[in-house]
Amino acid sequence: MSEPVLDLRHVTMQFGGVVAVDNLSMHINREEIVALIGPNGAGKTTAFNCITGVYTPTNGQVYYEGRLIVSNQPQGKMKQLYAGTHKEFPKEIVVNTPDKITKLGVARTFQNIRLFKTQTVFENVLIATHLHKTSNLLTATLRLNHKEERQMREHALNMLEAVGLIDVKDELATSLPYGKQRRLEIARALATNPRLLLLDEPAAGMNPQETEALGQFIVGIQKRFELTIFLIEHHMDLVMDISDRIYVIDFGRLIATGVPEEIQDNPDVITAYLGVYEE
Amino acid sequence: MKIFKTIIAALLVVCALFMIYTSYTAKDSLPGLLERMDPQNLAETDSQMQRAKKRVTDGLMEDNKEKTLRGLERYLNGFADKLVIDTQVQYELFAYQNGPSMIAGGLLLLVAGIVLILSAYCKIAQARRLGIHVLLITVLFVGVYILENTVGANSMLMMVLKKGAIYALVAVAMNLLNGFTGLFSLGQAGFMLIGAYVYAIFSIETGNRAQVYQYYAGGLIQFSLPTLVSIALAGLAAAFFAYLIGLPVLRLKSDYLAIATLGFAEIIRAVFQYDGLGPITNGSNLLRKFPVFETVLFPFAVAGVCILLIALMIHSTYGRAFKAIRDDEIAAEAMGINLYHHKQMSFVISSFFAGVGGALLAMYQTTVQAKAFTAAMTYEILLIVVIGGMGSISGSILASFLFVAASEWWLRFLDNATVIGNFKVPLLRSGFRMVVFSVVIMAVVLFYRQGIMGDKEFSLSKLRDRFTRGKGGAGRV
Ligand SMILES: Nc1ncnc2c1ncn2[C@@H]1O[C@H](COP(=O)(O)OP(=O)(O)OP(=O)(O)O)[C@@H](O)[C@H]1O
Ligand SMILES: [Mg+2]
Repeated sequence: MSEPVLDLRHVTMQFGGVVAVDNLSMHINREEIVALIGPNGAGKTTAFNCITGVYTPTNGQVYYEGRLIVSNQPQGKMKQLYAGTHKEFPKEIVVNTPDKITKLGVARTFQNIRLFKTQTVFENVLIATHLHKTSNLLTATLRLNHKEERQMREHALNMLEAVGLIDVKDELATSLPYGKQRRLEIARALATNPRLLLLDEPAAGMNPQETEALGQFIVGIQKRFELTIFLIEHHMDLVMDISDRIYVIDFGRLIATGVPEEIQDNPDVITAYLGVYEE
Repeated sequence: MKIFKTIIAALLVVCALFMIYTSYTAKDSLPGLLERMDPQNLAETDSQMQRAKKRVTDGLMEDNKEKTLRGLERYLNGFADKLVIDTQVQYELFAYQNGPSMIAGGLLLLVAGIVLILSAYCKIAQARRLGIHVLLITVLFVGVYILENTVGANSMLMMVLKKGAIYALVAVAMNLLNGFTGLFSLGQAGFMLIGAYVYAIFSIETGNRAQVYQYYAGGLIQFSLPTLVSIALAGLAAAFFAYLIGLPVLRLKSDYLAIATLGFAEIIRAVFQYDGLGPITNGSNLLRKFPVFETVLFPFAVAGVCILLIALMIHSTYGRAFKAIRDDEIAAEAMGINLYHHKQMSFVISSFFAGVGGALLAMYQTTVQAKAFTAAMTYEILLIVVIGGMGSISGSILASFLFVAASEWWLRFLDNATVIGNFKVPLLRSGFRMVVFSVVIMAVVLFYRQGIMGDKEFSLSKLRDRFTRGKGGAGRV
């Protein structure tokens, strides 16, 4: 089997005394849809932030397509404070800013929608084509890049087409209903040409019909763009429906992993979600 | 429709050529004109009239236009009853008296004619739009030029137009940073100071240096660069300082830029007055005797080109990235936009144009002294940006002219103690202008928070849409 697209090794993120992610090791293979679930505050979003460079994990490593993109060990004050369970520290330090990681082919959406508020739907997606530009400031200002500009616009329109928002392209992004704003976030992420797509609660706030449609939509774009998808979601129906594998975390720690059927009946998972496990 | 347009365009072009031709030949035709005004040759017998006429011809002979014009005016006024002045003569006289304006007007008609033909025959919408913009710019420049020739180069109106153009450039540059990139900087006066000084230092003519740098043995620099080169250097110097400031400050997540730039502006003002730098900056003495504005068209042209470049950049993919950073840094970064590089770009460019603005301000003031570039100047420009609307270029331009006109001109009367009859109007005395001005600005900021334009731009097509809708444009489907 080929190497995994994403490979986390002992990733630990500690804020002051709180260990939000503790010794998380996991991997995702090419063109898999993998879900990360867990109760509120379990550390799911923090894990995403560690992968995308928003946070530098306190300890651990992240490989993307075999390339080490994040590697850190406790430093400074954290040397004494460190409370993670994994006590071995990698030697090298590798830090990448989020824009660098996006350029490598990892795109994401946000749990609390982060659209560009003053921009139209189309402009929101168009901005996401900026990272692959070949023009510099001068050629762009003097309009010597009109060929590239046209390609950018076409690409953005294609993405809007793909998520079915083409007919609202000139509306203000924030004027869209909730569900469409989430789709727009996905379109914007797709416009960066990712190979790995991270979705943070894409169905949040949706009703059951919308959620089911979203599931089909995610599978659709996975096929169409040959994506690997890493998904955080609370809607269990959706997770069980579309995931190839599932990781479950609670209080930052991995408590279970497996295919949907295994997770459904796992007593630890039920305890984590319901507080007690009743036979 | 096409034929109609073509005919009008042809008429315009013929008119234009006629105007330009008559103004060019007016000087040569003046002697003949004098003959025609006086068909019976009364001047031959009337010695007073003869003398007046001779003054005109003398002026012509010496090629002294001012003298000729003055003589002509006296001749026409003094002997209006004896001279025969028909419409043909009137027109030719007018052409001679207002030669440059006529040529400018002719040029305008010529451009109008060409644009009209373009709109009739050219199928490319972009070319037609470009044509209309060229026409508008020609209207602006010709209008300003004719105004300058009629009301005089040193009138209040011209002062306001010159300073307004400079402030427009500086305000748009500040808007690029504060309004479009969401970075709050308070260093505008500092960058303008650098621009003004660099311009002055490099453009003072070599012969004048001994006099200007009298306390510093003629100064260190003993060469002089052309005006436009000096202006470009002024921008580059300001940009360089911005780059140095941005290097540490723009990497920080929180917004320390405001504090850093404010501090920088204060320090640089002291540094430029430092005696040790005297051979270059002339210490705390004035810099003067450098090239200044000869016509209002110069600041209009330089500021216009700079603002055009900024506008083009804001509407390019880089401008979109700036706006993304303003709207949401975290999302922008997740879209692959490098925050540091783009902030640095915006900051350096904004400062470059502030430096160019500073150079223009030096030309406007004719002297430069570091003392004048205080934080108050930065606040003035910030106010213009806020009043015009954060994120609106046209708003900044409009607000600049309004602000300069109000503060330098329209509210001047408030500073003069005024007596009407026996009644001394209360409150009107030196300094009251600033009180009223502050109240007006507070009112604008309180009740008109978005500024004049919000983050919208003035646009011809929107204006046209509004008009056609107003006239029941629904039928025009
Ligand atoms: N920047 C931060 N500073 C301090 N604590 C943080 C920070 N970010 C997250 N945390 C803490 O880390 C823990 C995990 O938060 P996280 O947002 O990752 O949870 P989550 O699994 O995404 O929850 P939810 O399902 O509610 O989105 C929480 O206790 C939170 O308070
Ligand atoms: Mg979360």
